[in-house]
Amino acid sequence: MNTIILIFIIFLAGAILTFLAGNIKGLLKEVLFLASIIVPVVMFFAGVKAGDSFDFHMAGFAFQWEITPLSYLFALIVTGLGVMAAIYAAVSAMQGTKSLGLFYFNFILSIMSMLGILFSRDLVSFFIFWEIMTWSSYLMVVYQGKDVQKVGIKYFIFSAVGAYSMLMAIVMVYSLTGSMMIDKMVQEAYPGFAFNMQVIIPILFLIGFGVKSAMMPLHVWAPGAYSHSPMAFTSVFSGALSKMGIYGMVIVMASMVAYVPEEHWFRIVIAWLGGITAVGGTLWAIAQDDAKKLLAYSSVAQLGYIIVGVGIGTPLAMLAALFMAVMHALFKGTLFMAVGAIEKQTGTSNFTEVTGLIRKMPWTFLASLMGIIALAGIPPLGGFIGKWMLYESLIGSDHYLLVIVIFFSSTAAFLYSYKFLFGFFLGQEEKEWEHVKEAPALMVVPMIILAAGTFLLGTFPGLIMKPISAGLEQLGYGATQGKYWEMSMLFNEWGDQVVLQPILYAIIAVFVFFLVFLLLKNRKNTRYVSTKDISSSGEVPKEHENLTFIQNFFQPFLRAVEPLMKRQIDWYYNGFGKGMEALFDFTRRFYTGNGQTYALYAIIFVVILLLLKTSLFGI
Amino acid sequence: MELFLNILGAIATVILAFVVGMTYGGIVRKITARVQNRKGPPWYQNFIDAYKLYSKSTAIHHGWMQQMGPAFLMVSSVVTLMFVPVLNNGGWFENLTFKGDLIFLLYLMVFGSLGMALGAGQTGNPNSAIGVTRGLSQMVGYEIPWVMALVALMIQYKTTSITGLMEVQQESGTWLMFSSPFAFIAAVLAMLGMFRYSPFDIVGAPTELASGPVSENGGKYLFTMMSSGSIFAFVKLTLYVDIFMGGASNLVVLVVKTFTLYMIPVLYGIVSPRYRTEQSIRFFWGWPLFFGLLAIVYAVIF
Repeated sequence: MNTIILIFIIFLAGAILTFLAGNIKGLLKEVLFLASIIVPVVMFFAGVKAGDSFDFHMAGFAFQWEITPLSYLFALIVTGLGVMAAIYAAVSAMQGTKSLGLFYFNFILSIMSMLGILFSRDLVSFFIFWEIMTWSSYLMVVYQGKDVQKVGIKYFIFSAVGAYSMLMAIVMVYSLTGSMMIDKMVQEAYPGFAFNMQVIIPILFLIGFGVKSAMMPLHVWAPGAYSHSPMAFTSVFSGALSKMGIYGMVIVMASMVAYVPEEHWFRIVIAWLGGITAVGGTLWAIAQDDAKKLLAYSSVAQLGYIIVGVGIGTPLAMLAALFMAVMHALFKGTLFMAVGAIEKQTGTSNFTEVTGLIRKMPWTFLASLMGIIALAGIPPLGGFIGKWMLYESLIGSDHYLLVIVIFFSSTAAFLYSYKFLFGFFLGQEEKEWEHVKEAPALMVVPMIILAAGTFLLGTFPGLIMKPISAGLEQLGYGATQGKYWEMSMLFNEWGDQVVLQPILYAIIAVFVFFLVFLLLKNRKNTRYVSTKDISSSGEVPKEHENLTFIQNFFQPFLRAVEPLMKRQIDWYYNGFGKGMEALFDFTRRFYTGNGQTYALYAIIFVVILLLLKTSLFGI
Repeated sequence: MELFLNILGAIATVILAFVVGMTYGGIVRKITARVQNRKGPPWYQNFIDAYKLYSKSTAIHHGWMQQMGPAFLMVSSVVTLMFVPVLNNGGWFENLTFKGDLIFLLYLMVFGSLGMALGAGQTGNPNSAIGVTRGLSQMVGYEIPWVMALVALMIQYKTTSITGLMEVQQESGTWLMFSSPFAFIAAVLAMLGMFRYSPFDIVGAPTELASGPVSENGGKYLFTMMSSGSIFAFVKLTLYVDIFMGGASNLVVLVVKTFTLYMIPVLYGIVSPRYRTEQSIRFFWGWPLFFGLLAIVYAVIF
């Protein structure tokens, strides 16, 4: 039997079995859940390689599943993050929640549907898997049941808009070509389309993909949906699921848009939308007091960078975008898991409530620290590689203002990065949180593994550049190895370079030297004093006084950028929604529930028909 | 053997940066005092202070992040120093100058402040967190014109490496401050914020925030912070000299050029009162931003 179909059968069977086992006590459901994630993933790595395919016919359509180099790269993200999040979710993170079966069911289905999207080479199965993904993630958004009504509906409406515009594009393609095959459409039929079709079809597809990748102005669902799902799933939601939009966007931009005559105009619009997304996401992230919301807005911003890279579309920009996609999965996975761990141990994810956890949860702090360093793009961790390549590609391809916009956004990202670390881990330690213990090992280990991934790729980006480069070659870009990257070197278009290994060694050498210098005698001679034992303006704070500064943390900065944050696209959507509600409310008045009124309507209808019968029916 | 010589060269560079930076600090104290009609300490006062701090022992600590903070700070200063060419011909001070470019340097330079910010955060002193938020906010302010100036140079000369920009100046014989004047103006205005003298001294804020990290760190920690600050000042000045003033062929020229440049933020600072944080941010998004834009337009046209 073909391994590809076997993988999907195991996913599906595992999902159903786990759902059925949901109410059984004991570890049966956890074992089933982990097995039905890990077994197919192991099979994927052991038995499947780029180029494998599987065809079948059903209901008059030809289905074709194939693993291309590009989908293999994204499958690495999905499977890697999926397994880590599954280990994190099972046993520990989700302990004690109700209807666990449903959670596991949706989790498995969303992993399956993402792999399905990546493997589909025909538009029918692509769309079916896309819908399964939307549904399973929607059920996750409303899973916790706390004021999810609005958030869930928002997510669903935007997903529906995206899905319908995608469906429209698919139907148009089918009516024009009579085929559902993606390759055939892109390579053979598309260049022959009329100009208006050449423009409309990619726009419709991009709306569909833009919703999932939270591109301005289709991003408004993201902060709510990311922060309301269980954190174990949000790491996948933000890390992998949103990348499906990027995957589709990469294909559309690299194949279709390349044929459009006004290609340049198209690319600039997408790139600027990405840039605006990045700035808006960052500014709103700075204003948040809840860690989940902060990370959700930060995800929007990070996806903005990726969209910029995809929009620019030069080889270096594509490398940057895809590398950042991998990196975002790693560090955002880590950070959402860390928030989940903190929420589980303390019961809150609000900075203003919980402070000073560094000594209680040191491993979570370490993972968060590495995640944040990668997010901020500081060398030697991996986030820097993606940022560097993005800047170089923007400068090299004459997008001077966009590079300033991106730079502003990523410098401002330091603000919320620090807020995240300070809010949870630093500041004054409180009596209230004295009982807090480090999260269970099964939650900490996946975080640390993902964080270690950012560290490894920071010095040896070649490890992941290889599959990225293979994917780009499939899309028609030339070979990039040796031109833009080596195992641990980076080049820009003008041949300037960054050599990563000496950087890492220099940093480690200097750091260790000064750490030893500082601690050699001090470690033994100094004693630990609590954070209450400080000198603040000449006074020592009392035991019950909490002096942690966290309220209005970046108020001066927010005051300075106030004009930028005045307008929010959400208001327009809400206004539109209110208008629609008023319209529906007006329509509802006809339905009085009174039989006599309905009888009156029927009579009026008949009278109108009789009056207008000559003009209407010509009798 | 080569590795050994390289390490020796690196150590020599660090010592040079330390000595020059500390001396500059002492001279600035003297100048400030004379302007304010005081006698002021001797120019070598900073060395005495450093020695005193180094010999003191520390009694207490607030946790391991606090202890790592100064080490992070030092990493940023020393590693950045390794990537900035000290002299035109390299020689003893070549270090890692060919291994990184300007954008890498921009990111490396914030490494230390973030580490120190975390270290200061663990002390639980509210003033340190206030200082950090001010510092980060101001950084977003001055980085924008500074990056605009650099981007203008990059697109004008089609290189992102410091050595590349230095070669351009040696070949043409003119300093970039004359061939790209607007970029230089934007960069110098950004420099005012980078050096944190008045009116941009909102981070340390001598009158309100004096009890922040400084009072929670003592002895060797304070010594490390102090020497890191001196080295970092030297690095930044050398970077400016390399990019805009044609680098330096020997140490005397380097000292003359860096000292002249250093006087801009110092003298402007002595006669200025302090801004509030948002005023400082808005300052950088006013004229400096305008000159940055002008620099980019100039670079695109020429």
